Amino acid sequence: MDIFYFIVQQTMFFAIPLLIVALGGMFAERSGVVNIALEGIMVMGAFTSIFFIHFMQDKMSGQLLLILAVLVAGLTGGIFSLLHAFASINLKADQTISGTALNMFAPAFAIFTARMIQTVQQVQFTDTFFISKVPVLGSIPVIGPLLFRNCYITTYIGIGIAIAAEIVINHTRFGLRLRSCGEHPQAADSVGINVYKIRYAGVVISGVLAGIGGLVFVVPTSTNFNATVAGYGFLALAVLIFGQWRTKRIIFAAFFFGIMKTFASAYSGIPFLKGLPISNEVYKMIPYIATLVILTISSKSSQAPRAEGIPYDKGSR
Amino acid sequence: MEYVIEMNNITKEFGNFKALDDVTFKVKKGEVHALLGENGAGKSTLMSVLFGLYQAEKGEIKINGEAVKINNPNDANALSIGMVHQHFKLVHNFTVLESIVLGKETIKRGFLKMDDARKKVMDLSNRYNLRIDPDAYISDITVGMQQRVEILKMLYRDNDMLIFDEPTAVLTPQEIEELMKIMKHLVDEGKSIIFISHKLNEIKEVANRCSVLRKGKYIGTVDVETTSKEEMSEMMVGRKINFHLDKIEVKPGETVLEVKNLTIRSKLSKKDVVNNVSFKARKGEILCVAGIDGNGQSELVYGITGLMPINNGQIILNGEDITKKSIRKRSVAGMSHIPEDRHKHGLVLDYNLQQNAVLQTYFEPRFQNHGFIKFGAVRQYAQKLIGQYDIRSGQGEDSIVRDMSGGNQQKVIIARELDRNPEVVVAVQPTRGLDVGATEYIHKQLIAQRDAGKAVLLVSLELDEVMDVSDRIVVMYEGEIVADLNPKEITVQELGLYMAGSKRSVNNEKEA
Amino acid sequence: MKKKHNLLQSKGTSSFFSVIMAIVAGLLFGFVILLISNYKNAFPALITIIKGGFTNGTSGLGQVLYMATPIIMTGLSVGFAFKTGLFNIGASGQFTTGAFVAVYIGIKWTFLPSGIHWIVALLGAIIAGALWGMVPGILKALANVNEVITSIMMNYIGIYLVNMLIVKSIYDPLKNQTESVPKSAIIPRGGLEQLFDVKNMNIGIFIAIFAVILIYIVLSKTTFGYELKACGHSPSASQYAGINDKRNIILSMVIAGALAGLGGGLLYLSGSGKYMQVIDILAPEGFNGISVALLGMSNPIGILFAGLFIAHIKVGGNNIQLYNYSAEIIDIIIAVIIYCGAFSLLFKNLIHKLTRRNKLEKEEGR
Repeated sequence: MDIFYFIVQQTMFFAIPLLIVALGGMFAERSGVVNIALEGIMVMGAFTSIFFIHFMQDKMSGQLLLILAVLVAGLTGGIFSLLHAFASINLKADQTISGTALNMFAPAFAIFTARMIQTVQQVQFTDTFFISKVPVLGSIPVIGPLLFRNCYITTYIGIGIAIAAEIVINHTRFGLRLRSCGEHPQAADSVGINVYKIRYAGVVISGVLAGIGGLVFVVPTSTNFNATVAGYGFLALAVLIFGQWRTKRIIFAAFFFGIMKTFASAYSGIPFLKGLPISNEVYKMIPYIATLVILTISSKSSQAPRAEGIPYDKGSR
Repeated sequence: MEYVIEMNNITKEFGNFKALDDVTFKVKKGEVHALLGENGAGKSTLMSVLFGLYQAEKGEIKINGEAVKINNPNDANALSIGMVHQHFKLVHNFTVLESIVLGKETIKRGFLKMDDARKKVMDLSNRYNLRIDPDAYISDITVGMQQRVEILKMLYRDNDMLIFDEPTAVLTPQEIEELMKIMKHLVDEGKSIIFISHKLNEIKEVANRCSVLRKGKYIGTVDVETTSKEEMSEMMVGRKINFHLDKIEVKPGETVLEVKNLTIRSKLSKKDVVNNVSFKARKGEILCVAGIDGNGQSELVYGITGLMPINNGQIILNGEDITKKSIRKRSVAGMSHIPEDRHKHGLVLDYNLQQNAVLQTYFEPRFQNHGFIKFGAVRQYAQKLIGQYDIRSGQGEDSIVRDMSGGNQQKVIIARELDRNPEVVVAVQPTRGLDVGATEYIHKQLIAQRDAGKAVLLVSLELDEVMDVSDRIVVMYEGEIVADLNPKEITVQELGLYMAGSKRSVNNEKEA
Repeated sequence: MKKKHNLLQSKGTSSFFSVIMAIVAGLLFGFVILLISNYKNAFPALITIIKGGFTNGTSGLGQVLYMATPIIMTGLSVGFAFKTGLFNIGASGQFTTGAFVAVYIGIKWTFLPSGIHWIVALLGAIIAGALWGMVPGILKALANVNEVITSIMMNYIGIYLVNMLIVKSIYDPLKNQTESVPKSAIIPRGGLEQLFDVKNMNIGIFIAIFAVILIYIVLSKTTFGYELKACGHSPSASQYAGINDKRNIILSMVIAGALAGLGGGLLYLSGSGKYMQVIDILAPEGFNGISVALLGMSNPIGILFAGLFIAHIKVGGNNIQLYNYSAEIIDIIIAVIIYCGAFSLLFKNLIHKLTRRNKLEKEEGR
C-alpha cells in the first residue's frame, strides 16, 4: 500500500504542472490561437517566481511565500503571453513562428539575467513548502495518505484550476463566447462579440496558467532553476491534443502522463520496476514514446477547434 | 409614406476600387424590398455597411428618419436591424439554443441561465411557426432548420428590420415555398424585410418593390407587380440577355464514361451518401446531375475522379475499368475535372498562372526533361492559354493566381482542363459565384466540348443551368438517382418535385 | 518583359529590406538590454557583436565558417520542410542521431581505409537523420498526427537513446563523453586550417554549400520540387492534381532529417575537440536551424547567408564576454529578430498585395 501511496504522490508532482499548462493551452486554442509558446512562458514564469523566492526567503517562508510566488509566476506569464497575442491577433503573424520566437527568447533571457545578477545561471532556493501531512485531513484513512501527505499546496491550486476551468469554459457566458471564437469567429463577430478581445483573453489566460505551471513544475522536483522546464510545455501540448481540447479528458490525459513520468523518474523507488534490467534512459523515453503512440491512435477523430491557428480578419468573410 | 431605412449616397472603396458608388437605397415599413444585382454588383457590400460590418467612406444612413452611425453589428442590433447571412453564421458544435442566444445570453452572476432564453425562443418558434429542436446540435440538423435558427436569432433580438442575404440558394423548392410564407407572415406582423437575390421568380413572388444595383452603382427602384422579369433582368445586367443558349442538335455517340452500382459510405455518419448509382455518359452529350446541395453529388464526383475511396461499384472509361486507378491515371486516361471548390482543389493559389496551367501536365515530356522543368515551354503554353481563353490578369503568366478575380481564376481551370483534349469533362458547379458574362462564356465552352464529340458530366444546383445547358438530366436525391429525364419534355416544377424526393421515375435496380 | 524583371527585383529587395529591418530591431533590443545590465560597456559591446567574426582577422572568419556549417545544415533541414508545409522542429533530434552514428562509425569501423572512412561516417549520419525524420513524416502522412508534437517527442527520444547507446558502446566515463574519433574519420582539412589560421577548419563548409546548391536546384528547377511546393501551398489541390501527397510528406521529412543528420556528422567529425556529452539537453543546433530557416525565408541561398550571419554574431557574442556580458544576449537578439521577422514579412506581403490589386483592377477594368 505504501508503494501505491508513493506512486500517487509522485504522480501529482508531474501531473499537476502538465494539467495546469494544458488547461492554459486549452483556453488559447479554443479561442482560436495556437500557443506553441507554452514552454517559453513556463520558463519565464518559473524564472521570475523562483527569483522572487530566492530574494524573499530570508524574510518569509512556507505557504505564504509560495502563494505569492504563484502570483508572480502568473503575472509574468500573462504579460509575456501578450507578445504572442499581439503578433498573432493584431499583426496576424504566423502563430507557430511567433511562438517559436518566445520559446527561444525565454531561456536566453533567463540565463542572461541570472548571470548578470548573480554570475551563475542556476537560481537557488530553499524548499520550505513541502507538507509532510496536512492537519486533520492527512489522518483520514486511505484518502489522507493518498492526497494529503507528502504534498505541496500547488497540488490543490492545480485541482482548483481544473474545476474552475471546467466551469468557466462550459457554464459561463465568457466560455460560450470563447468557444464560438475558436470554432467560427465570423459567427461570433456577426452577433457583436469582439473576437480580438476574446482571443486576447484566451491567450493571456494561457499565459497566466503556463507561468504558474512553470513554478509548480520546478518547486517539487528541484532546489534550483536552470532556465529549463525540460520540454514540459511541449508535453502539455501533447496532453491537450490527447485530451481533445476538453477539460475532463485533459485531466485524465495529464494524470496518465504523470504516471508515465513517475515511472521514468522514480522507478528506483518502486520495487518491481527496480529489479528489471532496463536502463535509466529507457524509462526516460517512455513518456515520449507513449505520447507518440497515443497521438497516432487518437488523431483520427480530432475535435480541434475549427478556426484554430487562423488569424481572424474582419475584412474577409 | 415614411421610410424605416434610408441609405443616401453611400460610397465604399476598397483601395482604389469603388465597391459602392453613390448608392441610394430606401425601405418602407412593412414591405419586402428586393435588392437585385449580379454577383459582385455590391449587394452584400451595401448590406454589410447597413449591418455595421463595413464603414462607408461617404453617405449617410437614417433609421426611422434619424441619422445614425453604425460601427459594428452591435450598433445595428441596437437599431433593431438583423441579418441572415448567405453562409450561415452558426457554430457546428453548439446547440440550437446556444446558437440563438450567443451574444445576447441570459446570465446570473456570469453563469449562463438558459431557462428564460429557452422560454422566449420557444414562444417565438410557436408564434412564427418556425419549427426547431432547441437541444439538437447544429451539425446534426438540416439546412432548412439552420435557416430557421438564423431567423429566430433575429427575432430573439427583437429586430424589426430583417435582411435575408440570398436565402434560397441552399433550400429545396418546398423549403423555399415555406420560407416565402414565413417572410409574408413576418411582414404581416409589422417587420420590414430586405430580400437579396438574383432570382427573378422569387422576387416576383414575394417582394413589393425592387432596387437594382449594377457594378456598384444604383440603377433604380421599381414596383415588382407592374414590372416584368425581362425588364428587371435588363436593369440588372445592363443589356438584353438571351435566356436561351444556341445549341445545335448533336446525336449522342457511344458511351465514354460508365458508372455501375457506385456506392460510397460516409465515414462520419455511416450512411450511404452515394447509393448504388449507375449511369452512362455518351459522346456529344451533356449529362447533367441535378439535385439539391448535399444529396451526394459531391461525393459521386469525388468517387468518379478518385478523390474519395468508393465502397462498391465500377467506373469504366472508354471500356477500361478505372475503379482502382489513381487520380493521376484517371486524369491521363482522359478525365478532366473542373472541381466544385476552385480554391480548395482547382488551383494552387500561391503558384502563378504558368505553374497552375501545367498542374495536370507538368510531368509530360513536353514540360520536363529528366525531372527538370522546361521553363520556356511552360511559359509559352501559359501564354497560349491566356490568348486562347481570354484570361485577364495583372502580370500575364507571372500573376499569382490568388490575386486574380474569381472569373479569371475559373477560366484558368477551364483552359487547363479543356485544353488537354479530354475524353470526358466532369464539371461541378462551374459557374458558381460568376457574373452573367462569365457564366455565358463557360456554358459556351462546355457546349463546344459536346459539339466536338466529348462527353460532359455537369453537376449543377441551378435549375436554369440544368434546363438550358443539358441534353439529359439525372436527378440525385439522398444518394440515389431518382429520375432520368429529357430537359425538353419536363418543366422546372416537375424537376423540382424529383429533386425534393417527392417523385421518382427510376428504380434503383434499373440502369439509367 | 522588362517590366516583369523589375517587379521580381523589387520583390527580392523588399524581402531583403524587411529582414534587415528585423535585424536592426533585434540589435536595438539587444543594445537596450546591454544598457540596462551595464551601461558603461554597452556601446563597445554592441560594436563587438556587429563586428562579430571580423574581430580577430582570419581566425575570426574561420570561426564563423566553422560555426555556420552545422546550422546551415539544420537551417536547410527546417527550411526544406517548410516548403512542403511542414514545421520540422525535430531537427535537433535528427542532428543528434546523425552525430551519434557518424561518431560511432568513426570510432568503431576503423577497418575502413582512411580516404573512405569519413565519407562512410557522414553517410551513416545522413541515414540516421533520415530515419529520425521519417517517423514524424510517416505519422503525419498516414495518421495525420501533427508533426510539431511528434518531432518534439522524437527530439527527446533521440537524446535519451543516443545517451544510452554512447554509454553502451563508445563511452569515456572519465569525461562523461564519447571516445575520440580517429584521424581517418575526421573530415579532411584541405589546407583551410592554414588559410584561416584555425585548426578546426575543414571542408565541411563546402559540403554545406554543396547541399545548399543541391536543395536550391531540387526546389526550383525540378518537377519534384514543383510537387513538394504544391503540397506545401495546398495539399488538397495537389491531391486533385494526382500528386501523391502522402509520399511527398514522407520524402520531405526524410530529406529534411538527412540534412540535419549530416549537420551533426559535420560538426562532430570536424576534429575540433568537440565531443558528444552524455547530458539531457537537446542539441541547440537544431533550434538555431529554425532561426536560420526563418531568417533565410526558407530559401536555400537565403539560408546560407542567414547561417553565416547568425554564426557571425554568435562569434561576436563570445567576444563580448570580455566586457563581462553573458553570451546569451545573442540568443535574445535572434529571438527578437525572428519575432519581428514574423510580421515584417506580413507587412511586405500586404504592400505587395495592395500594389498588385490596384494594377489588377486597372488592367481588368472593362
